[in-house]
Amino acid sequence: MNNPQQTARVGLFFLLGMALVWVTYESLSGGRLFKKEGYTIVAGFENLEDLKVADDVKMAGVSIGSVEKTRLSKGRAEAILRINPSVKIPSDATATIGMAGLIGTNYIGIDLGSPGAAPLADGAEIRTKVTPDINKIMTQLGDLGQKLEGALGSFSTAVNGSGQAGGGLFQKLDRLITENSAKIDATMSNLQEITTKLNQGEGTLGRLINDPKLHDDLVATVGELKTAAGQAKTFIADAQGIVSQVKSGQGTLGVLLYDEQAASNLKGTVKNLKDLSDKVARGEGSLGRLINDDSLFLSAQTTLKKADRALDGMNDSGPITAVGIVANSLF
Amino acid sequence: MKQLRSILEGIGSAIFLMLRSASFVGTIPSQFARVIEQCYLIGYTTLPIVAILCFFVGSVLALQAGYSMQDFQAQQFIGSLVGLSMARELGPMMVSILLAGRVGSAVTAELASMKVYQEVDALVTMNISPERILVLPRLVAVLVMMPVLTIIANLVGWYGGAVVCRYTGFIAIGPESYFAAVRHVVKFKDVFDGMVKAEVFGFAVVLVCCNIGLNTRGGPREIGASVTRAVVASLILILVLDYFVTKVLI
Amino acid sequence: MDLPQPSHIPHVTGDALTTGVAIEGLSKSFGSLRVLKDVSFTVKPGEIFVLMGPSGSGKSVLLRHIIGLEAPTEGRVLVDGHDPMVEDTRGHVRMALVFQDGALFNSLSVYDNLALYPREHRLGSEAEIRERVMHALQILSVEKAASKLPSDLSGGMKKRVSIARALVIQPQLLLYDEPTSELDPVMAATIDEIIATLKDEIRVTSIVVSHDRDLALSIADRVGFLMDGRLIHIGPPSGLKAPEDPRIADFLNPKIDIRNPRFKSLEA
Repeated sequence: MNNPQQTARVGLFFLLGMALVWVTYESLSGGRLFKKEGYTIVAGFENLEDLKVADDVKMAGVSIGSVEKTRLSKGRAEAILRINPSVKIPSDATATIGMAGLIGTNYIGIDLGSPGAAPLADGAEIRTKVTPDINKIMTQLGDLGQKLEGALGSFSTAVNGSGQAGGGLFQKLDRLITENSAKIDATMSNLQEITTKLNQGEGTLGRLINDPKLHDDLVATVGELKTAAGQAKTFIADAQGIVSQVKSGQGTLGVLLYDEQAASNLKGTVKNLKDLSDKVARGEGSLGRLINDDSLFLSAQTTLKKADRALDGMNDSGPITAVGIVANSLF
Repeated sequence: MKQLRSILEGIGSAIFLMLRSASFVGTIPSQFARVIEQCYLIGYTTLPIVAILCFFVGSVLALQAGYSMQDFQAQQFIGSLVGLSMARELGPMMVSILLAGRVGSAVTAELASMKVYQEVDALVTMNISPERILVLPRLVAVLVMMPVLTIIANLVGWYGGAVVCRYTGFIAIGPESYFAAVRHVVKFKDVFDGMVKAEVFGFAVVLVCCNIGLNTRGGPREIGASVTRAVVASLILILVLDYFVTKVLI
Repeated sequence: MDLPQPSHIPHVTGDALTTGVAIEGLSKSFGSLRVLKDVSFTVKPGEIFVLMGPSGSGKSVLLRHIIGLEAPTEGRVLVDGHDPMVEDTRGHVRMALVFQDGALFNSLSVYDNLALYPREHRLGSEAEIRERVMHALQILSVEKAASKLPSDLSGGMKKRVSIARALVIQPQLLLYDEPTSELDPVMAATIDEIIATLKDEIRVTSIVVSHDRDLALSIADRVGFLMDGRLIHIGPPSGLKAPEDPRIADFLNPKIDIRNPRFKSLEA
């Protein structure tokens, strides 16, 4: 009815098929499917966002399990995580909901915790951190923009001195500048050079502000953006401090304003600054994108560190202190 | 009305055929040679056409998806699309349709001619149940072979997609990122669900084809009519079952 | 011509039927078509009963009832006291039907055709089965065809293989459906002889459906005559020599009259 060759072929064929099934199984699921290997831990959140069953659980970026179940319990959302048996999670590790990719694949990220802490047992609850809500951050950044513009506006009003309050300031400045006109000229030309460079996109800061390409490098975490927002508040306070200092004629800037030419130079500078803030508001340049573009949570951290370092250097060279302060406190 | 009655009769007789065959499950070891022979016919000889068809199904899927997705620059998701479609739907579906066309028609033709030329009656007079030696080995063989054919169909389909992605100008996705996308989205459960589907379809196709073959009456002309009826019924059955099985598996 | 010589058939079983076959008020309808109408007769153990009749008179359907392939619409059939439709009956009574067209399994060789029954019912080792099969083939002188496929056989060979396949079952009741049709007279005579020898040597009860008058005359113990689904005559074969019933006479000795209205259309 059938010869040995036929039997052998069927046997070979079947074994081949089973081998392929096994290979597929191994490569797709890494050896776990029905057998509920490992242990479960519970992660409670206010909001699970888009987290779904079978999403990854990653510890410091390494996949260590998957979401087995999501449920509502005790007035909060809970995700039951199945963790590979070989992985021990320290009890002080924290879980957050992360987002991988643009199409909204979510995952649970767990940090390493401290190595000394006792590992979580089966069914234990892991500490969670509220994931920063993207919308809140955006609102904060919007507020920041408005405040920035307000601060710069009052700054320019003070400098122009068109109002009655400005008169005293300019008289004081006048005297100071007459006495130091040579120095001021040099300072002013330096200052102009810097702002021009800034505008033309030279130097780190300039590039940061003007070069859209740079935004590819900006890997900003949400946390950094928050810090930036906090620091921006400091800046506004600083900026207002400067304005009041200028008003009372103290410091280099107050003195500067006596010279007419210096004043017009200063106007140029201020105008540049205004341009900058406008650009920011309109969403041009890296900074603008940072504020206006959702998708920009890239490595701003490193860039910001670079900018910080550059600005530190700038701080040391006297004439650009004002710009230094502005730029430094902005970030 | 007559049509509806014949459909109900077909379903009923198929169920009885299945139950009668199932009552002989204990005889499978003694029919090992027959099961192997049917495995050979159902699995081994169907492999080339399955491979060719699924290669092109995967390719076309990738091509079409790539054409549509180039507007969104979303070509890196082609692997996911092809991978999931093949594993969950097209792999089992295509294998089953080929099974209906290639094996189902042959089974019906063979059993119908045995019926028409009284070979089935001869078996009955010999006290040998036709369900036992004609139907059961085929059902067992199809259950054994469907997962094998399906996994090959899936892999070949994925590979077809990969080839198209690599060599099509406007897609230009390398095999590494293509298969990374496949692996990113396709879980083994998807492949497994596909195999469950294939088992259900394959079993249903062989059962229906055996049933129609054994219910053939009349002369040799009826053999052809039975084959046509069996293939049409199989195709409809695959699509109808597909809906319900998919619903159950989701 | 190397004629088959059914010289010696061993006494393989010896357990002949005890009560024979009883057909009581059997009627069969296929839809609105009544094929058998209230047929009753008995076949005694060990006799050869020849059932004659024109084509379409329901002879084959009657045979199918006896072996349990058809269920009666009315009446009943008893084979040695058992209902042949019940699955167990074929376990109690060994029956075999020699189909008109042989009904050999086309996908199997002649040897495998014969070996199927003992193999499926586990009647001995492969060697024993081989002996049994080859013996049956030798009885019908077709052992040379053992490895051939049925499609390679001539009509007469098929018929003989078919009878050999029935013999492998070692039947107590052997039914023949037109065993000599499509055969040349010499071969037909041989088949007649085989049927008679089987009956004599192993006391197998035989029911032969045929419209071959010579067969009926030479081997029958009794003859039944079926016409339009009714049994119109039953008696010894001698009754066929000078039949009283004009329908039987007309069937056995047809007088073809070219002026008969039946042939009018041919003339035109």
